[in-house]
Amino acid sequence: MAERATIARPYAKAAFEYAREAKAFAEWSQGLRAAAEIVADPRVAVLTTSPSLTAADLAGLVTDVGGANFNAGMQNFVRVLAENHRLPLLPEIAAQYEELRAAVENTVDVEVTSAVALDAAQSENLKRALNARLKRQVRMQNSVDASLLGGAIVRAGDLVIDGSLKGRLERLATDLGS
Amino acid sequence: MSIKASEISDLIKARIDKFSSATEARNVGTVVSVTDGIVRVHGLADARYGEMLEFAGNTFGLALNLERDSVGAVVLGDYKHISEGSQVKTTGRILEVPVGPELLGRVVDALGNPIDGKGPVNSKLKSPLERVAPGVIFRKSVSQPVQTGLKAIDSMVPIGRGQRELIIGDRQTGKTAVAIDTIINQKGTGVKCVYVAVGQKQSSIANVVRKLEEHGAMGHTIIVAASASTPAAMQYLAPYGGCAMGEYFMDNGEDALIVYDDLSKQAVAYRQIALLLRRPPGREAYPGDVFYLHSRLLERSARVNEEYVEKFTKGRVKGKTGSLTGLPIIETQAGDVTAFVPTNVISITDGQIFLETDLFNAGMRPAINAGISVSRVGGAAQTNIIKKLGGGIRLALAQYRELAAFSQFASDLDEATRRQLERGVRVTELMKQKQYAPMSVAEMALSLYAANNGYFDKVDRRKVTETEAGLQSFARSSQADLLKSINAKPDLSKEVEAGLKKCCDDYFATLG
Repeated sequence: MAERATIARPYAKAAFEYAREAKAFAEWSQGLRAAAEIVADPRVAVLTTSPSLTAADLAGLVTDVGGANFNAGMQNFVRVLAENHRLPLLPEIAAQYEELRAAVENTVDVEVTSAVALDAAQSENLKRALNARLKRQVRMQNSVDASLLGGAIVRAGDLVIDGSLKGRLERLATDLGS
Repeated sequence: MSIKASEISDLIKARIDKFSSATEARNVGTVVSVTDGIVRVHGLADARYGEMLEFAGNTFGLALNLERDSVGAVVLGDYKHISEGSQVKTTGRILEVPVGPELLGRVVDALGNPIDGKGPVNSKLKSPLERVAPGVIFRKSVSQPVQTGLKAIDSMVPIGRGQRELIIGDRQTGKTAVAIDTIINQKGTGVKCVYVAVGQKQSSIANVVRKLEEHGAMGHTIIVAASASTPAAMQYLAPYGGCAMGEYFMDNGEDALIVYDDLSKQAVAYRQIALLLRRPPGREAYPGDVFYLHSRLLERSARVNEEYVEKFTKGRVKGKTGSLTGLPIIETQAGDVTAFVPTNVISITDGQIFLETDLFNAGMRPAINAGISVSRVGGAAQTNIIKKLGGGIRLALAQYRELAAFSQFASDLDEATRRQLERGVRVTELMKQKQYAPMSVAEMALSLYAANNGYFDKVDRRKVTETEAGLQSFARSSQADLLKSINAKPDLSKEVEAGLKKCCDDYFATLG
């Protein structure tokens, strides 16, 4: 995983810079997301490592499936990846591209898992608090997990803010056990 | 002792009461691979070098490799429950060990957790494992002796407080015995001892503990044990942990002694970690920083001046110097001191005591090779009386070695040469000493005086040890005051010399 991220980095950076110069962040986001989904599909995944297909065949396959999602730049990008046998890295490239884009646009994706569904007011409050804490525009995704018992866990990249009852009980257990 | 149920639940209640339930914000990563105690973690972008990482199940790790997309860490302890996909949290803390006088008499592991079954260590203070050694401004030159209680060492390779003296030799040459005797001899001198056992058999460690207990030396000793069965990470960290415990005494204006038994095994443990972390191997497959591994550890053995102690204790202790004497041990393979780790440690330390298999098998115990054993700073710390009397011993042995090699070819020798050879043989015999029988300065002075002044020359060479024992018991019974006065004030004054002469004259007269 770590090595994959390292190899994917220059591709993601190139795609990001190309998109920035072309002022086409959204189009590239869409294209990369679609391409990542295509290569992640088990039927395609088998083919991407198959020795019987040429780079051009593979690139053609991916761009054909992607269809209108791919602009001209994106199509060339897929071709470059195919030539270098790096098509399986597309999910990492897409993820890193989104990170780079979020850094420039000063936004951040945040997953909030709560024990019970948040109502609009709670959601708004939390969003405001997180905006201040992370000093970025927060894009929030809410999900519900009853096993948390109470409270919520906020996850923004590597940062995890654990305010759940389950987490507190676990910490109490470790504290008593030591 | 029976467990009282109410006591336990009260304890738990108190701990629940104290438990801070504040929401925590932590950096979290995911385990990518686990290989032989080395964990690769994806994420953890904010992890710092040497930071403690928290795994599930109250297990901790140490971040050692910070790479672009991953963190390489060693797990401290069992790693069987850690699997791919497990979560890892940063803690924002670095490794610490408990320090303080409460640890004396205890056996602890590399991180200061008690393993002797005597309950928790109630130490109030903690100190980081890795610390920068005291700077030049705060140092003081070595000027007080550490009495090892071994004639051969105290007279020929004296060790001063704050010195680093290497004990080097093949397996089974008595390296540990020298160190243990030194620890036993510190009883009642106020010197606190730390014995760090790295990569040894559990049975050897148990033996050392038992011997120290038998000789009443556990009261001033801390044992840090990382046996051969503990993970490599613990073996790598144990010397630093022990050093932190010893430093506490130094910082508080006391004298301490630390034995690292042995550093070659620590280097091997570190090599394992480094290779698993995929650091490039160098000479003998050791990583590039093996020299630094040992130099930063041994630099922490020092003698610090009064200002340092005063500053460190915030004025609580005034006008006292502190010291941490280091006795690292290195095991050589077939006497090869040119291997990587031995050369490194020889160059770092302030001298070395060479122990040799041949001498050991010939019955010379301690098997010290007086020719190549040196102490580069200890001479300044030797007590006046031993310095004056020991000089003759060194000289007699040096001349003896030269002549002994030469005289093997000569059939008839002149009187002077023969005398020197005879003296040398007897001095060599006199340097033998039983294990666990350290001598006081006065006892040592008496033996050395007798040897220097030729009292042993007429004694049969096979009876030197016996005669010396007789001389000692004679002095203890008839000249107790003299011995006491020498121990109190170890100077070779006219009166002392006269006393020693009278004692020797009286005793050797009885032998006829």
